[in-house]
Amino acid sequence: MTTTNPVLAHPASPLKRVTNVTRLHFANPWTTLGLPWIILGVILAGTLTIWWLIFSALSPTERVGALNGTEFGGSSFFIFIYMMVVAIQAISITFPFALGYGVTRRDYYLGSSLAFIILAVIYTTGLTILAAIEKATNGWGMGGSMFAPIYFGDSALGRAYVEFLLLLFFFFVGAAIATVWVRWKATGVTVFFIIVGVLLVGLIALVTFTDSWFVVADTLVDLGIIGVASWSLVITAISAVAGFFLLRRATPRNSA
Amino acid sequence: MDDSRPIFAQVAENIENDIISGALPEEGQVPSTNEFAAFYRINPATALKGVNVLVDEGILYKKRGIGMFVATGAQEQITGARRDKFSSEYVRPLLAEAEKLGINSTQLTQMIAKEAKNS
Amino acid sequence: MTSTIEVHNLTKRFGKLIAVNDVSFSVTENKIYGLLGRNGAGKTTLMQLLTGQEFATKGTISLFGQAPVENAKVLQNTCFIKESQRYPENFRPKDVFTTAPWFFANWDPKFAERLIADFRLPLNRPIKKLSRGQLSSIGVIVGLASRAPLTFFDEPYLGLDAVARHIFYDRLLEDYANHPRTVVLSTHLIDEVSNLLEHVLVIDDGKLIINEDAETLRNRATTVVGMKTAVDTFVGARKVLHRDGIGGLSSVTVAGLNESERRDAKAAGLELSPVSLQQLIIQLTSTDTKEFEVSA
Repeated sequence: MTTTNPVLAHPASPLKRVTNVTRLHFANPWTTLGLPWIILGVILAGTLTIWWLIFSALSPTERVGALNGTEFGGSSFFIFIYMMVVAIQAISITFPFALGYGVTRRDYYLGSSLAFIILAVIYTTGLTILAAIEKATNGWGMGGSMFAPIYFGDSALGRAYVEFLLLLFFFFVGAAIATVWVRWKATGVTVFFIIVGVLLVGLIALVTFTDSWFVVADTLVDLGIIGVASWSLVITAISAVAGFFLLRRATPRNSA
Repeated sequence: MDDSRPIFAQVAENIENDIISGALPEEGQVPSTNEFAAFYRINPATALKGVNVLVDEGILYKKRGIGMFVATGAQEQITGARRDKFSSEYVRPLLAEAEKLGINSTQLTQMIAKEAKNS
Repeated sequence: MTSTIEVHNLTKRFGKLIAVNDVSFSVTENKIYGLLGRNGAGKTTLMQLLTGQEFATKGTISLFGQAPVENAKVLQNTCFIKESQRYPENFRPKDVFTTAPWFFANWDPKFAERLIADFRLPLNRPIKKLSRGQLSSIGVIVGLASRAPLTFFDEPYLGLDAVARHIFYDRLLEDYANHPRTVVLSTHLIDEVSNLLEHVLVIDDGKLIINEDAETLRNRATTVVGMKTAVDTFVGARKVLHRDGIGGLSSVTVAGLNESERRDAKAAGLELSPVSLQQLIIQLTSTDTKEFEVSA
């Protein structure tokens, strides 16, 4: 029988290596796509049930405008916070796994970032579609508003923009937290939150002592939600870059 | 494979035994080193070493592109070599054991004759 | 002969603990190496350093002539199978075998299929619900089917029962014979794998204490057993590695004997018994026998 010597594998192109990691995140998309949508569905069902209960208790005349305040609700906010959880889970578990497959940290981070961006696009599209359905059914037949919270503005495009950026924000902040975890474990994360806490308190103190709350309020109003969302990109970018550099020295120690 | 001799030597001896018994006939092909390795559950390099010992002694030879074959006259060669060592490998220990048990060489010779008649 | 791995003065410190202590060696291509040692000797750390998963405190490593850290070209030709591998949430074995080929260019799907059948691995059951043995077999299958030119197995068969372990050894040998690659196998179950190894590296307390061809190592010693006087006469001035005895019986381990010496011993009515690799390593490291597990 002829024996073959191992061929030193042709290194896959840099792009292929990165996209392989991205594919890895979608190989079994339960945590990234399955569960969040199911939870969202459950929240929607729950919300609709509550609205319906309210509706059935009211007379037809009272019903009009009964759910007027629901656009101030935050039931769809959950999905954004949850993205942070998804990012943390994805990185803390797939990082040691990917290292085992011979993936470099650089390729891993780039591939994962790409995965997050794709997820953000998917979720934004989904939310936009749900908002459109909501509008078309006149608030699910009850005048309620879940997918078009007032906070996100009036236009569908504006909402989509804000949602996309918010999703990215939570993904990359989550990713940054995850890299702190991977690198320094519980101690690291605790220290991280302490530092963040101190910074926030410091900022609040600064604003209070210089009596500049009205400046803050004015700026926010001037910026509008679109402006605020655009500025959040700064933090998103900082988190993304920080995560990359933090991961460079992370090891799978004790991750097994 | 419990013998305390090097494994490759044990492999060589086993092949020799098969040649003497006729299981591996002269001018017949022997299994490849990989097959020996798998069979004895040893590293192929060790199996190769054992085979090479026999090649060096002229008991096996290689046909390019086909495999290993038993050389003509291999049986004679092996049996001859073993006959030479028979004295030191079997007779001496036999005498030593007999001495331990207080059996002298005359009694020993009688025993051998008796056993030969019975077998 | 090309060196697949070259290590010079490698040291790894975790705070005060020196896990790998000034280790130097080289690994030649297409051989099966055993990386042996007690639990906690530094085998896993060493492998993690070699695959760029851990960062060295001091010293140099080169795989295929290059440093492995963050080196995709080198790492793509490496496969590191750990004992306790964690898989992504909700992964099933099927997902592992779908994704592994993306990362290992030499992956052989037919071989993988055969191994899956050999180990009776249920492809669709969530990994969380698998038994320890089934979990270990996933790693073993990936390591074998990857055909990576440099493959590390870090005691990945600890969860496997004896039957499964022997399936692993058999498949490894068979595949290695037909598709040579460099394999580094770490274990503390020395006797089970000793015949598979071509070269032995023994680590004790972070230091490399033995770096030898397996065959040479095995012949380093023989145990001579018999009546005390007869044994002592035979042993004479030879170096004694180990001495044991009960009543009038004596068992002495000496440096390897050649053919004529063996015949002399047998003629003197002495029995020669082999010194297993495990025994030898225990004796050379003067370690308490209890430290090594006896294989099932």
